[in-house]
Amino acid sequence: MELYVPILVLAVLAAGFAVFSVGIAPFTGPKRWNRAKLDAYECGIEPTPQPVGGGRFPLKYMITAMLFIVFDIEIIFLYPWAVAFDRLGVFGLVEMVLFIVTVLVAYAYVWRRRGLDWD
Amino acid sequence: MNGTIQAPTLEYAQLAPMLVVFGAAIVGVLVEAFAPRYLRSAIHVPITLLSLAGAFALTIWQVVKGVPTKPAAMGAVAVDGPSLFIWGTILVLAFVSVLLINDEDHFVAAAAAVPGSAEEEQALHEGAGHTEVYPLALFAVGGMLLFPASNDLLVMFVALEVMSLPLYLLCGLARRRRLLSQEAAVKYFLLGAFSSAFFLYGTALLYGYAGSIDLAKISAALGVVGGQETLLYIGVAMLGVGLLFKIGAAPFQAWKPDVYQGAPTPITALMASGTLVAAFGALLRVFWVALGGLDWNWSPVLWAVAILTMVVGAILAITQTDIKRMLAYSSIAHGGFLLVGVVATGAAAGQNSKALSAILFYLVAYGFTTVGAFAVVTMVRDAGGEAWHLSRWAGLGKRSPLLAGIFAFFLLAFAGIPLTSGFFGKYAVFQAAVAGGATPLVIVGVVASAVAAFFYVRVIVLMFFSDPAADGPSVVLPSRGTAAVVGVAVLATVFLGVFPQPVLHLAQNAAQSLFIR
Amino acid sequence: MGESITFWVLAVVSVIAALGLVFSRRAVYSALMLGVVMFSLAVLYAVQDAPFLAAVQIIVYTGAVMMLFLFVLMLVGVDSSDSLVETIRGQRFWAVLAGLAFAALLGLGIGNAVLSPPKGLAAANRAGNVPSLAELIFTRHVFAFEVTSALLITAALGAMVLAHRERAEPKQTQKDLSRARFVRFGQLGRNPGPLPGPGTYARHNAIDMPALLPDGSVSPLSVNRVVARYEAAEGTLPPEVERILQEEALSERANGHVARPLGEEDGK
Repeated sequence: MELYVPILVLAVLAAGFAVFSVGIAPFTGPKRWNRAKLDAYECGIEPTPQPVGGGRFPLKYMITAMLFIVFDIEIIFLYPWAVAFDRLGVFGLVEMVLFIVTVLVAYAYVWRRRGLDWD
Repeated sequence: MNGTIQAPTLEYAQLAPMLVVFGAAIVGVLVEAFAPRYLRSAIHVPITLLSLAGAFALTIWQVVKGVPTKPAAMGAVAVDGPSLFIWGTILVLAFVSVLLINDEDHFVAAAAAVPGSAEEEQALHEGAGHTEVYPLALFAVGGMLLFPASNDLLVMFVALEVMSLPLYLLCGLARRRRLLSQEAAVKYFLLGAFSSAFFLYGTALLYGYAGSIDLAKISAALGVVGGQETLLYIGVAMLGVGLLFKIGAAPFQAWKPDVYQGAPTPITALMASGTLVAAFGALLRVFWVALGGLDWNWSPVLWAVAILTMVVGAILAITQTDIKRMLAYSSIAHGGFLLVGVVATGAAAGQNSKALSAILFYLVAYGFTTVGAFAVVTMVRDAGGEAWHLSRWAGLGKRSPLLAGIFAFFLLAFAGIPLTSGFFGKYAVFQAAVAGGATPLVIVGVVASAVAAFFYVRVIVLMFFSDPAADGPSVVLPSRGTAAVVGVAVLATVFLGVFPQPVLHLAQNAAQSLFIR
Repeated sequence: MGESITFWVLAVVSVIAALGLVFSRRAVYSALMLGVVMFSLAVLYAVQDAPFLAAVQIIVYTGAVMMLFLFVLMLVGVDSSDSLVETIRGQRFWAVLAGLAFAALLGLGIGNAVLSPPKGLAAANRAGNVPSLAELIFTRHVFAFEVTSALLITAALGAMVLAHRERAEPKQTQKDLSRARFVRFGQLGRNPGPLPGPGTYARHNAIDMPALLPDGSVSPLSVNRVVARYEAAEGTLPPEVERILQEEALSERANGHVARPLGEEDGK
């Protein structure tokens, strides 16, 4: 269990920071109330209402999401490899590089075909 | 914590066919990334065909060199006689299917555009196309190679996914009847993901029972581990669901007609031949290597499944009015006939190898015929694409006797008429089943074959003995690729029907060593 | 001791969160509840000597899948709801029945196994949980590991094929947009520059304060129309701003076209 003490400390710190920031804001910030400040976008852009039933949403988001998942899964494999790196030696390094390069091929494809552009 | 980990030994020579296919697929993705659009197709086709041919040559080289007797890659992959035979079969069928895929007007120009929108029209006009189909097909073929050769359930699961994922995608890329194609892709994906989950759950439970996912170790644990039979039975049942789904056996056959119909026809050909062969290889390996000692328990279930599959496939095929759906139901029925062979195993190694060689031969025969049949389907076209409705095929024999004759020949091979490859396939499987004591199953099989023959003959009668409609479909002049596919399929069907001996001999040799443990 | 305390606390938390997930009427709440359930599961894994599984649970499920859920909710619309009409009659009844039967079967099978003490855990974790896993991944299962990359490539390819639309015409660059702005300036006399920020040269930089020009008058360009609309409704509109808006409305009517603040038609 001692393994998790740093994580617990970090969690407490994070929670404390969140509570502190939200709690202190009303006392330190300037207060000029205006209805516009309660809008979703304070800068004055009017939020467009969502059509009833959801409507269509841009499918482009799928690409970002999928690429995110792909690299997330790559991280999962990196984790045990990093922990046991000193014991795995050169073979582990070669296998991991091979894996990363292979996944990078997918990245190169998405990048070259402008899948990363949001327009 | 200290002490270096010994690097694993990988038998690269044995894995070479798969490595070639996967490597070519990755090169294909790089081509997609860096080559300009007008060059892509010209680069892809040689890469794809050469890699498949190279992998086939490597497979042959291994057979010549001597079949390995130990699993490769630290026991993850079993390159044995049946594996090599199945690899050869899949590679040839994939090669032939890629020739069909090469006719690019089967695939959509812009899959992300809304079907029927102006954008789609524009993409079509500009000659855009998804050349990604080539690397995707190669990934699928790589998965098909690994699936029947995997020696533990984890590798088998990864292979199952590598094989299925590209196929889900490819199903949704038909150029015409977009909505049907997308529906097929979604159905295939959802049901396939569901069946994968079953497979994975079964794997977990079997691991809980045996303490290993290694097929040989599961086999060794049978009867030794006491008190955990529930885990074993539920695990086996779930694993069975996952595998039977892939071959489209009866309670899990619902996806097949929809997917075969909606997918682009070249992809249907690849699925109907390659996937079926791979899935049967994996099914055989799991049920014989890992669960061979449990056959008292699973063989009654497989009896029921085989009977149901044959009956459902044969009877529902009669009611179809769509040529692709009819071929899908015929594929289900053939899956049932093949399951008869799976059931026909016994305690004796001789009986096992006999049944195995019969199944292997059947798979080769059926694979070629089905690719040929789907190739013919691509050539009969209406204004809106391929003419699928059976009524449109009426009188085709008078309009284009050669094509109709070839199709009739394929249908007769499906029915198992003597002098076609289908006859010897069925004969071998049923003979093995009788020898294995599954005579009632064979009787059901023969009756189902007769029912199936009825609807094949019905199509033949429709083609030759009814009058062609005035606005009937036209038969397009086949491209060189399609013509070659049909030619190869006809030759294979004739050759295997008249001189089955060489291939039968090859199958027997392959089955001699059985699956290695 | 610590283990059982953790378990009982998390058991209550996760069951309440799971119930909230099912019964909550708003999709975002359900998603957040799901996050709580996933997080509790991760802690339970950690307590059960499975740190790798705990990390995977957090990185992949709580981190990635959960965020994707929220992302989808955002895009689909928070207040959208599904049609609850059954397309196949009696489907729900049979689905529930089959689900319950399946759960009972699994419960029997696994419960049976769980009652006996675990075996082999110590041997499997001899070198530590994660290093032992690494050893397995990079020796026995190294081939499966490498083949997984094919799966990841296929996923990326699939996303691109199904979701990416290639541009038919080249994308407008900054240069093109700027050129178009100046062409419009030449033709219609519209200011090609950006709008002044609110409150420039004034006492405040809050958005409801229009900017003042060097001579002390209000700059019409910097009046925030949204804020002005609210203020007009509440009667707190400053008189000078009101005058500007009225003048603008008059000139619009005279010219017969509706003047819009610059930049709005350029950005979209």
